[in-house]
Amino acid sequence: MSDSIDRETVEQVARLACIDLPASRVDETAKQLAEILEYVGQLEQVSLPDDVEPFFGATESVNAIRKDELSPSVARPDILSNAPDSDGEFYQVPPVF
Amino acid sequence: MNAATTQEQRQSISEDDVTIIIGLEVHVQLDTKSKLFCGCSTEFGAPPNTQTCVVCTGAPGSLPVINQQALRLSIKTGLALNCEIARFTKWDRKNYFYPDLPKGYQISQFDKPICGLGYLDLFDQRDKSKTRRVVLERAHLEEDAGKSIHDESKQGGNSRIDLNRTGTPLLEIVTQPDMRSAAEARAFLNELKLILTYLEVSDCNMQQGNLRCDGNINLHIRVDGQQIATPIVEIKNMNSFRAAERALDYEAVRQLELWKQNGLTISDAPKQTRGWDAATQTTTLQREKEASADYRYFPDPDLIAVTLSEEEIDSIRSEIDRLPAQWREELIGQHGLKPYDADVMVGQGRGVIDYFLNVAEGCGNSKMAANWIGQEVLRFLNESEATIESYPITSTQMTELLTRVVGGELDQTRAKEVLEQMIEFQLEVQSAMDKLGIKPVDNQEIEALCQQLINENPQVIEQIKGGNAKAVGALIGKARKLNPNASPGLVKNTILKMVGG
Amino acid sequence: MDFSNLTATQCVNQFASGEVTATALVQSCLHQIQQNDPSLNSFIRTSDSALPIAQALDIKRAAGKPLGPLAGLPIAIKDGICTAGLKTTAGSRMLEEFVPVDDATTVKRLVEADAIVIGKTNMDEFAMGSSTEHSHFGISKNPWNHQYVPGGSSGGSASCVAAGLTPASIGSDTGGSIRQPASFCGVTGLKPTYGRVSRFGLIAFASSLDQIGPMARSAEDCALITSVISGHDPKDSTSAKNDIPDFLATLNQPLKGLRIGICKQHFEEGLDSEINDSVKAAIQVLKNLGAVITEISMPHTPYAVAAYYVIAPCEASSNLARFDGVRYTHRTEGVKDLAEMYCQTRAEGFGNEVKKRIMLGTYALSSGYYDAYYLKASKVRRMIKQDYDTAFESVDLILGPTTPTPAFQIGEHSQNPLAMYLADIYTVSANLSGVPAISIPCGISNRGLPIGLQLQARSFDEATLLQTAHQFQMETDWHTRRPNQ
Repeated sequence: MSDSIDRETVEQVARLACIDLPASRVDETAKQLAEILEYVGQLEQVSLPDDVEPFFGATESVNAIRKDELSPSVARPDILSNAPDSDGEFYQVPPVF
Repeated sequence: MNAATTQEQRQSISEDDVTIIIGLEVHVQLDTKSKLFCGCSTEFGAPPNTQTCVVCTGAPGSLPVINQQALRLSIKTGLALNCEIARFTKWDRKNYFYPDLPKGYQISQFDKPICGLGYLDLFDQRDKSKTRRVVLERAHLEEDAGKSIHDESKQGGNSRIDLNRTGTPLLEIVTQPDMRSAAEARAFLNELKLILTYLEVSDCNMQQGNLRCDGNINLHIRVDGQQIATPIVEIKNMNSFRAAERALDYEAVRQLELWKQNGLTISDAPKQTRGWDAATQTTTLQREKEASADYRYFPDPDLIAVTLSEEEIDSIRSEIDRLPAQWREELIGQHGLKPYDADVMVGQGRGVIDYFLNVAEGCGNSKMAANWIGQEVLRFLNESEATIESYPITSTQMTELLTRVVGGELDQTRAKEVLEQMIEFQLEVQSAMDKLGIKPVDNQEIEALCQQLINENPQVIEQIKGGNAKAVGALIGKARKLNPNASPGLVKNTILKMVGG
Repeated sequence: MDFSNLTATQCVNQFASGEVTATALVQSCLHQIQQNDPSLNSFIRTSDSALPIAQALDIKRAAGKPLGPLAGLPIAIKDGICTAGLKTTAGSRMLEEFVPVDDATTVKRLVEADAIVIGKTNMDEFAMGSSTEHSHFGISKNPWNHQYVPGGSSGGSASCVAAGLTPASIGSDTGGSIRQPASFCGVTGLKPTYGRVSRFGLIAFASSLDQIGPMARSAEDCALITSVISGHDPKDSTSAKNDIPDFLATLNQPLKGLRIGICKQHFEEGLDSEINDSVKAAIQVLKNLGAVITEISMPHTPYAVAAYYVIAPCEASSNLARFDGVRYTHRTEGVKDLAEMYCQTRAEGFGNEVKKRIMLGTYALSSGYYDAYYLKASKVRRMIKQDYDTAFESVDLILGPTTPTPAFQIGEHSQNPLAMYLADIYTVSANLSGVPAISIPCGISNRGLPIGLQLQARSFDEATLLQTAHQFQMETDWHTRRPNQ
C-alpha cells in the first residue's frame, strides 16, 4: 500500500470514475485521498491467519432465486419520465464520438 | 517467443512454418421467458423501451434477483459441453460506463463461473475420419446490455438508447486457443450451435443477436528453429459463421504480411481489437487495448452466492437427450447411414431426425428412408428455405409412400412422381396415385406384356440367351411405354424367367 | 391540539380508541413542521397526500373497517428511500428531480399497515457523512442546540423526532447512520440485522452494509415499527427468510440472568469522559435489573473504521455509477459529446464528499490495488465478524457507547474529515458483521447534549435488544427528555 498518490494517478482515477476534475483541484484531491489512504493503511498491520476467507457480504445465505415468470414491465411514458432527454420512444444521449 | 528477426529471415518463411492460433468467445442468449434479474420479457422485436422496469433500467434503489431457468440452462449447456459444473457460483460486477449499460456495471461472473473446464470434439477438417478436441476454458452467465443507435449521418446527432434487451441472460463460452484454421473455427461454431439447438437452450438466431462470437487470433511462426508469436488481435462484429471464417482467414494473411514487413511480435505490440467489415471484406482497427480498460471486478453485494447439489445437477443431466455426436453414431450404427449422410441429417436438427426415425421404422427400410429424406426432403427444404416442421408431407404420409415402394407396389421413379403430385396438389398417397392413373398390374397382365416384348424384340432376346442378362434393360423402357404401371423390377424378372436366362 | 410529545405507540392506541383522529395527528405534525422546520431543516419536503390519506383513514375507522397495526401513525422517511410519486433525492443535486415509480418495500409495508408518510427527511448526500452537513438541500440542525449537528447520515430523521415534529421516522444505517444521529439527538434508533428489512427501494450507498431501521421516542416504538417493516422480500436477494418474532411480546420480560459483555476496546482512548460516566451508570442500571456484566475483548475493533473506509467507498463507487445523466438524473447542458456529458454531469451532480469517496473506491478497486485494499479489508471484516461470533459464545449482548463524543458543532470537522469518520468508530462493526444494534439515550452532557448507549446482539436477535432497551427505559427517563424542556 502506498500512502501517497500522485497527480497522474488522481487524474486516471477521475477518468475511470467519469468525474471531471479541473487541473486546479488535482493536488487538493490527491491530498484528501492520501489522507484517507494513510489512515486505512493501518490494515497492513493486521496479521491474518493464512486460511482466512474474505467476508464480502453481511449475509452468507445462498440461493435466492426466482422462477422464470413474467411480471409486467413499467409503461414507457413512466419509465422515460425521469430521463433528462427522451423522444418518447428512446433515451437520447449526446453523440458518442 | 519474441526474438528479433531479420527481413531476410522473415521473407524466407514458408506456409509450413506458420501455425494459426484461434480462440473464440461465444455469447449465447439463453431461451428464458423473463430476463436474468427481473420479470421483463425477453421477446425480440417489441417497440423500444417497452420491456423494461426499474431493475433492468438500473433505477435508484432497485435490486436484482436471479432467474432460476437461466441457471438451469447454463448448467445444461455446461453438462453437454463436458464442463465441470461449479458447486458454488457467485456474481461479480464489471464496471464501465456506456449509455446502454444502465447501472454503470454489468453483472457477470469473474472467478467462480458456473461452468469450468470442458471440451468439444470436432471432425478434423483435413481428415474427417479423425476428431480434434477444442478445450473450453469456462462458460459464465451475464446480463446483456441494451442497444445504442448512433446517428449515421456524421452530423453529430444524438444517439438513441433502447433498453429492451438489457438484462437478457447470456452465457459466454470461452475456448482455449485450440483452433488451427478459420475453417476449424467455423466447424466449431457449427457444432456448438447444433448442440445448443439440440439442447433447446437457445434458438441461436444470429440475425437477432442471440448468438454472437468474437475471435482471438495470432500466428506462431517457426524461424530458424525458434518460435515467434505475432500480436494477438481480437476480431469483433463477425455476425455470421461465414463472416467469422472469412474474417479469420483475412486476419491470418494480414498478420503474416504485417509481420513480414515489421517483424513485431506479441511482446512488442499491445492486443488490438479489430472489427470485420463485411462491405470491404477486411478487418479495421477499433482500438488498442489501452491501460485504462480497468473493469474493477468485485463481488456483487446485491446478490448472494448459489450452491448446487449433486441432485440438482443430476436432475438437469437427466433432461439432456442425445446430442448431435450421439445421433451420428446411432444413425450410422443402428440405421446403416453413411457417415456423410448421418452428418447431413444431424446437421438439419432434431426435427429431421425424428422424421427419419418415424419413416424408417414405419416402412421398415432405413436405407431407403435415409435416401429419400437425404435427397427429396432436404432438397425441398433447401430450395424453399423451409424447416421440416413446415414440410408439406408428414412422416406418416412419407411412410405410406415408401411402404408401397418397399412392397413393390411402386417403383422409385413413379414414387417420386407421386410425391410431386402430393406436394403440388396436397394429396394423400392413394389420391396422387389415382391422379397419375397408377393401379396394380396383376401377374397375367405382366406376363402378357412380357410375352409381347419378347415377340417384338428378338435381337434383345438373343443377347440375353447369349448370357448378357443386362440387355434386358433395353426392354424396361419399352415396357413403361406400354404400361406405365408395370414395375420395372417385375418386368425384368419375368422376362428373364420366360426367356430362361 | 399539540400531540408533539406522543410516542408512536400512543398515537396508534389513541387513534384506535377514537381519542384522536388521524387528521388531527397529521395536521399537528404539519403544523409543527411549518413552525419549527425552517430553522431545523430536518425535512426536504412534506407529502401533499398525508392529509387526504389521514382523512380516508378516519373514514375507514368510522366505518368500523379493520385497521393496520400502525394506523394513524405519521411517519417521516429518509429521502434515500423511494416513495412512489414523491421526489426522492438522497440529498443529492443528482436526483433533484427524481420521482420513483415504486415505493420501497419498507414504505409499502408501512403504508399497508396504515401508517401515514408525512414527508422526506434530510440526509448527507447518498448517506455519506455523519453530520447531515453534506446535503444539497442544506445543513440540518440539532434541535438541542442549533449550533450543533444532528449527526448523520439520517440526521433529518433523528432531528424531526427529537424536535417533536413527528413521532417516528425511518432511517438507514451503513456505518452508524441511524444510531449515531439517534445518539446525538436523544432518540432511540435501531439498525436491524442485515437482511431483516428489505433494501428494495433504498438508494444504495454500500449494499453489503446498508440497512433500514426505525427511529423513535422509545424502544417500544421501535419494536412496533420493526415488526411491520421486517421480513423476507422476494425483490431483495439479500433479505432473510428468518421468522419474525413478536418483538412487542417479549418487551416486558425481566432481564434476570441476561449476560451483557462490555467490550474493553470501546472504553480506550478517545472516549469522552462524560460519555464514559453515563454509560457506566447505565451499566449499573442494567445490573440492578438482573443482568450479568462481564468484560470481553474484540481485538479487531480498532481496525473496523479502516476496513469500513475501504469497503464502503468501493461498493459506492460502483453503486453510484448509474448516475450518469441518461435515465434518472440531472444532466449537464451544452456538452459536445457523451464523455463530456458523463464527466460534467457527475462532477456537477455530486457533492465533494461523494466525489471523494467514489474516487477512493475507484482507486481501491483498480488494477494492482484490489488485493491490498478491498481484499485485505474484506479479510479484516472476517476477523471482525469472528470477534462477534466468539463474544456471543459467552454473552447475549454487547454494551458500549454509541459514539466517542456527543454532537459536534456545525463546521467543526470540515477541515478534518478523518475526525468525522471516527465518529463511527463504535458503530461500523455492527454493519461489517451484520449484527443488529440499537442506540438509546442514557444521559445529557454538561453542554446539554444527549448521550447514547449502544447495545448489539446476535444476528436476528433484535428481540433481546428491544427488550433490554425497553427495560432500561422503564427504569430511566432519558428517552423522554426533550430539547428546551
